[in-house]
Parts: sequence; C-alpha cells; structure tokens
Amino acid sequence: MITVENLKKKFGDQVVLESINFSVNKGEVVCLVGASGSGKTTLLRCLNLLEEPSEGTLKIGDKKVEFGKQKLTKEDIKEIRQYSGMVFQSFNLFPHKTLMDNIIEAPITVQKRNKKEVLVEANEILEKVGLLEHKDKYPDALSGGQQQRAAIARSLMMHPEVLLFDEPTSALDPQLVREVLKVIEELAKEGQTMVIVTHEMNFARRIANRALFMDAGYILEEGPAEKVLTNPKEARTREFLALLEDE
Amino acid sequence: MFEFFSEIRWEYLYDFDLAIESIPFLLEGLRVTMIIAGFSMVFALIIGIIVGIARMSKLAIFRLPAKFYISFMRGTPLLVFVFILYYGLPVIGIEFESSIVAAIVGVSFNFAAYLAEVVRSAISSVPKGQWEAAETLQMSYFQTLRRIIIPQATRIAVPPTFNIFMDVLKGTSLASVITVQELLYSGRLIAGRTYDSMTMYITVAIIYWLVSIVIGAIQSRLEVRYNRYLAKG
Repeated sequence: MITVENLKKKFGDQVVLESINFSVNKGEVVCLVGASGSGKTTLLRCLNLLEEPSEGTLKIGDKKVEFGKQKLTKEDIKEIRQYSGMVFQSFNLFPHKTLMDNIIEAPITVQKRNKKEVLVEANEILEKVGLLEHKDKYPDALSGGQQQRAAIARSLMMHPEVLLFDEPTSALDPQLVREVLKVIEELAKEGQTMVIVTHEMNFARRIANRALFMDAGYILEEGPAEKVLTNPKEARTREFLALLEDE
Repeated sequence: MFEFFSEIRWEYLYDFDLAIESIPFLLEGLRVTMIIAGFSMVFALIIGIIVGIARMSKLAIFRLPAKFYISFMRGTPLLVFVFILYYGLPVIGIEFESSIVAAIVGVSFNFAAYLAEVVRSAISSVPKGQWEAAETLQMSYFQTLRRIIIPQATRIAVPPTFNIFMDVLKGTSLASVITVQELLYSGRLIAGRTYDSMTMYITVAIIYWLVSIVIGAIQSRLEVRYNRYLAKG
C-alpha cells in the first residue's frame, strides 16, 4: 500500500529525515513512536505531501513519485492525496460548519457525489463514531473527544485507502482519550490500513501490527509492535519506553 | 476666565428654526453623499479583496504591484489623490464626466488599500490547520479559499471593515472640495448665505453621526450572525 525508499527531508540546512525506508501493507496498522523532534510527525506529513520530501521515492496505492529531481506537479500531489486521509492532533474541524456539513463538504465539493447518497452515508458514519445526535452542532459546542471522532468521520467519508493519524489524542483531556482510541481500534478491526503517530504505548501494543521507533531522523528499530514496544533490541528504544513508564 | 465665558454669545450656539428649515436642502446633499459612499464601499470592497489576495500571492507579478498600490494609497492623503484625479488628469486629456464620478473613484481606490490590508490580515489569521485539513480532503486552493477560509476570515474582518466604511462615509466630505454638492457642500452653501456657520456645521455633523450609527448597527447585526457558531461564554 505504501512504500517509502530513501526518503530524506531537509528544512534549510537541517536534516529532519535521513534516508527512511519502510512499507505498509494493505490492512496493516503501523505505529510511529519516538521522542518529540525525532521526525515521526514530519514523516507522516511527507506521506500525504503536506511536507514535500527533499529526496527519495514514495509509492502509495498505484501512484509513485520521486522527489528532488523535478518539482511535483499539482496533479502528482492530487493523486497521492487521493489515497490517504489525515487526522490531526488539533482536529482542525471547520468551525463555521455544523458536524454534518463538516463531513459532507469534501465528498460533495471535491468528489461531486450525489448529495442524497452522501447524506445517507454521513448518517451511518456519524452513528458509527457515536455522534449522530450532535450532527447539527458546531464543533465549538463539542468536547475534544467528540471533535476528534468527528474529524475521523470526516476523513472516512473520502474512503481513504490509508488513514494517517498525527498524535490523535495528544490534545485531549485524559478522560477523553479512550473514546477516540476506541474508534480507531474499531477501524483496525475492520481492516482499515492506518499509520499512527502516538505516545499511547498500551494502545499501540494492542492494535498495531508493527511499530517503528524513530530517533534523530532515522528509523532505529522496526518490528512487531508487541516486541518493539515491550522488549526492544536497541538501548535508545528501551530508554524512551522507560521514560514514558515513569510518567 | 469668567470674562471669557461672559463674552460667549450662547444665544447663537444653535438656531433650531434654521436647522429645521434647512433639513430638506441638507437631505438633498445627504443623498449625494450616500451615493458616493455606497458606490465607494462596494467598489473599495471588491478592489480590496482582489488586491488583498494578490498581496498574499506567492507570485511576485501579483504580489509586488499589490504591495506598491497599498503603499501609495496608504501613504498619500485622499484629498491629494482626488486632486490628481480631478485637476491633474484633465491636463493629460482624461476628464471625468462629473465630479461625483471622480469622487467615487478617488474614495474607492483609496480605501480599497486599507481594505486590502484587512483582507490580508483576516485571511492570515485563519489557522494554518484549516488549510491543511482542506488540503488532505483534496480541496483545491480556490475551493478552500471560498468555502473554508473566506467564511472564517469574514467574521474576523467585519469590525475593521466597518471602521473603514465609517471612514469612507466621512471621506466623502472631501468631495465638497471638488464642488460635488454633497452634505458638507450643502451645509456650506447655507452657512454662507445665513452667516450661521455654527448651526449649519453642527447640523451637518449630527447627520454624519446618525448615518454612522446606522452603519454601526449593521455591523453589530453582522457580528452576531458571524459569531453564531462560537460557543457562548
């Protein structure tokens, strides 16, 4: 589903990602873990070209792009983005639209789908994330957990092959984390391919097939989530996990 | 000190009869003022949005002219610009068919520069995450601008835009200098005839004030409308 080869990302002189290689298979859930500044969010953002990598190749779905040779065209970017949806740390719902209007916006304006049909699907998806009763509210009237579930629903409406999560629970009050993780776990069970940047280690151990531990722009360790996050090979990974345990 | 006050002739402060008598004539002038102000607000807003968006463009070919325009208009007095239009342009053979048109052009183009800055700051104040969310939903630049960014920017832009609209209203008084018979000019005519400048100009001031109160009321209603999606309190 996703293949990344020799991906590099520089901001000016600063190298943020150093020769990244990894792949994600269809139906797989991959967690990216690591300290802040390790490059995991940047890597995730490279996958849908919110950041344009400096070098390397990215293949997602049937689309392959090469970076650093020539400038990406709008078409390239559009095609790459068709395959993925993104859930942000700070939700980024559209505050001037009701929940319903938030989630039907792109299917109608971008995909030009039939509104009736979209509404039917929107109702189902809102039901699934437990927000049907709030569909006419504005995001500002909802809790963080509800907003994040709505943001997930908004991404799902586009039927992405891969869902990318950028620390989906980091901005939430502790008591709201679970309701969001539950929705993600549900998606994992349904076989949705997902790449998740997270600090929730228990969650990652439970739902991820694989975990990638990132450190200073490299993937330092990679393997079954259970193993990498419980009994890692690398000293750095152990240190990192120990730090989280302390909290 | 008290001598100073005793010399003031309070009985001439305000002549109600004269004020009431001159109302119909002043309202004629107000009509012209409103025509200039109305057209200028619409044109200034249209030009302001275009220039404001051009000012934010990544392309220098749009950005630099917009920057130059804003700098010139903000850096020169409206009156001087109106003089250039009305007295200067005829020298090179461009003449406005009426001084009212010259006034509308002058006021529109001048205040458009301020509105362009309002547009720019309002658009930049919409969080970057809104652009990114729209991008990941595959919305195009213009879809994002039209459906996501501008509606949110509008809410932010309403108060400063209406401040500028009030300035537009007051700025139309400069048209009196190029002999447009608007509200201030009408007041001047009566003041000249009756020698009661105090009464006339106070009356004129009150009329401007009342109109700006109406503009302020429209602003409040729009603010309520655009703020409805925010949680109360």
